[in-house]
Parts: sequence; structure tokens; C-alpha cells
Amino acid sequence: METRLLVLNPDPVFQDRVLAILDDNAELEIQIVRTLSEAVLALLDENFDGSILEGEEPVILEQATDIRQHFPSLRIACLLNDRRSPEIEAIGSEQNIELLTLPRSDRRLRANLNSFLRSLDSHPGTAAEGIDPCHSLIGNLNLFSAAEILQMSCLSQRSGRFTFKSSRGNSEIYLQQGSVRHAVFGSLEGEAAVAEIFRWRQGRFYFEEGIISQEQTVNRPWAHLLIDNLQKLDETLELLGV
Amino acid sequence: MRDKELEAKLRLVGLQLDNWKKLHDLITYGLDKAKPIISSEQERQFTEIRSNLLQETEYILRELNIVAEVSGKAMSVLQRGVSVRGVRDLPGDEIRRLEGDWNAAFTKLGLKQGQLKARRKELAEQSFLEYYWIQLKNRYFRRPATAH
Repeated sequence: METRLLVLNPDPVFQDRVLAILDDNAELEIQIVRTLSEAVLALLDENFDGSILEGEEPVILEQATDIRQHFPSLRIACLLNDRRSPEIEAIGSEQNIELLTLPRSDRRLRANLNSFLRSLDSHPGTAAEGIDPCHSLIGNLNLFSAAEILQMSCLSQRSGRFTFKSSRGNSEIYLQQGSVRHAVFGSLEGEAAVAEIFRWRQGRFYFEEGIISQEQTVNRPWAHLLIDNLQKLDETLELLGV
Repeated sequence: MRDKELEAKLRLVGLQLDNWKKLHDLITYGLDKAKPIISSEQERQFTEIRSNLLQETEYILRELNIVAEVSGKAMSVLQRGVSVRGVRDLPGDEIRRLEGDWNAAFTKLGLKQGQLKARRKELAEQSFLEYYWIQLKNRYFRRPATAH
């Protein structure tokens, strides 16, 4: 399975050193975009395993932070010069953005890029799925978005476990009496995981009635989550007009 | 077999075509009299795309070895289309020339992309050894062209 990488570079024609190295990797599918709005559009439509940002330091860090706010599970790397201020390091670790150095030597650059690419290789892929009689609701996210399904289940006061499966991985949302009790997607938990799943438009889902989580990572009523996430989605779409 | 130079050319032609498509979308919008509003955002996008094309076209065409065929047409489009509003205000014959030149540049780039993709497909089917054997054969055993 190919690793899909989104490269945000405002000047990909003349700054093609990184791209030339990435071209060597046959297992890599690259999409190049020049602006943040193009990047957001691509990320909304497709499943990328990671993103690399190139360009001028303050601009790419701001763009990476914007992308992080809207795509919490995406692996992001910024290519920066050797000399970095502690503030930049702090932003990187706070926003979970990998700061890769852009050395003069191609060998070192290749090593830096390969270490980032290796970290993307552990993508989960689509899990095999069978229809189980205990699944009380099964469907496709192309037809119903995760938000619509959760809205319907919460309104009808359901308790149970939703499993969402897409090429991004599997995630679970536990409901109890029409409220979201626990959500998990990869390393994300709670509201961050709900926010991520909320945007999915590809994949499958099923619901198993009566499975309740002991853990509680979400404490707000569904209506609040819905409004917050719709607002967040609006903000993401606003970036398209930047 | 993966040819680095070919991949770089494919990337360049892809980026160039992408910009020509975006430019065309805005030109089409500008020429559509049913859409009277031209926003400042659209003008900004147009200038951005035009600026990218002005910077990159000559370089990319040279890399693709099609400067002579396309450069004139491409420059004609970029010089005539100064803004979305400017395109709207062009006289009829200038619009036709603009569309004709855009089409000529786009067609040539599209053809080049097709050729490069075909070459990539060919190379993908060849092993490393096969590739170098063909290169050697071409270099040492090629018959000289006969005069007619």
C-alpha cells in the first residue's frame, strides 16, 4: 500500500530539492499544493498519511498550526533551517509538528525525510469487515455522514458502540442514553477523536447495541459537541477562502 | 525502473497544467456575462496564478524542450489577460485569440504529459538490467541512418 503525502510548497518549481528526493521513493504518492487553502481542500477530500510543509519559516509554522487545528490526527512536518529559536521548538512540540532540518547536504536531507516517511508507514489500512448479527445498524459514510448517524442515535437515546472504519483507521464512539461517553481514534481520545470522526466522508460504520464503555472521556451533551464541531467545520471551510 | 529526470519533468508539467487550468477557469468566469460580480478574491487568485506562470513557464518549457512551440502562445495569453475584469473588457477578436492561444499552449502541454506518462509506463515494465541493456544497445549497435 502506498503512503500518501501532501506537500505544501509555495514554490515547488524552483525549490524542488526535497521533491527530487521524494521522487526516488516508488512507494510514495505525492500531491503538491501551493497554498493553505489548496492544502485544506485536498485534506478534506482525501486521505493523506502525512504532510510536509516547505517555505519561509514563520509562514509555514503558521500554516502548520492551522492545519493541526483542523486535522488533529495528521502527521505534519515542517522543513526548517538548522538554526531554530526555542520559541519555534516550543510551537513544534505544543502542536505536535515535526521540525525537520533542511541541511545543505542531500544525504542528510534524505535521511531526515526518510525518518519522517518511515513514521508514516504504520498506517492501519482498511480493516476486513464481516456482517455480524449483533450489529444493529450498518452503513456507508458516503451516504450518511458520521454527524448525521450520531445525531440520529443520540436523539433516539441509544446506548452502545459505534465503530467507524476507513482507510484512516478504525475509531469507536460509545453512547450512553443518547450522550457520547467515550471516543477513541488512534492516539486521540474524547472530544478530539469525535472532532476527527465528524468530518469523515468515506468508510463504513456499524452500531452494536448495549456495549457501554467503562471509561468516560467526553463530558458534554451531544448538542454542544454537534454545534462546536459544525462551527469547527465551518472554520475549516473558511480556510479555503484564505 | 524509475527515472528521476522523467519524474521531475512529469511533476513540472503537472504543476504547469494545473496553473493553466486554474487560469482558464477564471478567464471563463470573466467572460461569462451572466456572472456580473468579480470579487477581489478572484482578482487576487488571477494575479497569483499569472505571477506563477510568468515566473515558471519559460523554465518549464525549456526543461520539457518545447520552448519554441509554446512560449509565444503562452506569453500572448499572459500579456492579454491582465486581470479577470481586463479579460471581460477585451474586444471579441482579442478574446478569440486569447482562447486560441490558451488552447494551443494547453494542448501542447497535455500532449507532452501524455508522452511522459507513456514513457514512465514503459520504464515501469522494464527491469534495471533491461533498461541499461537497451541504453547500451542504442549506443553501440545502432545502425547509422541511411540516405534516401
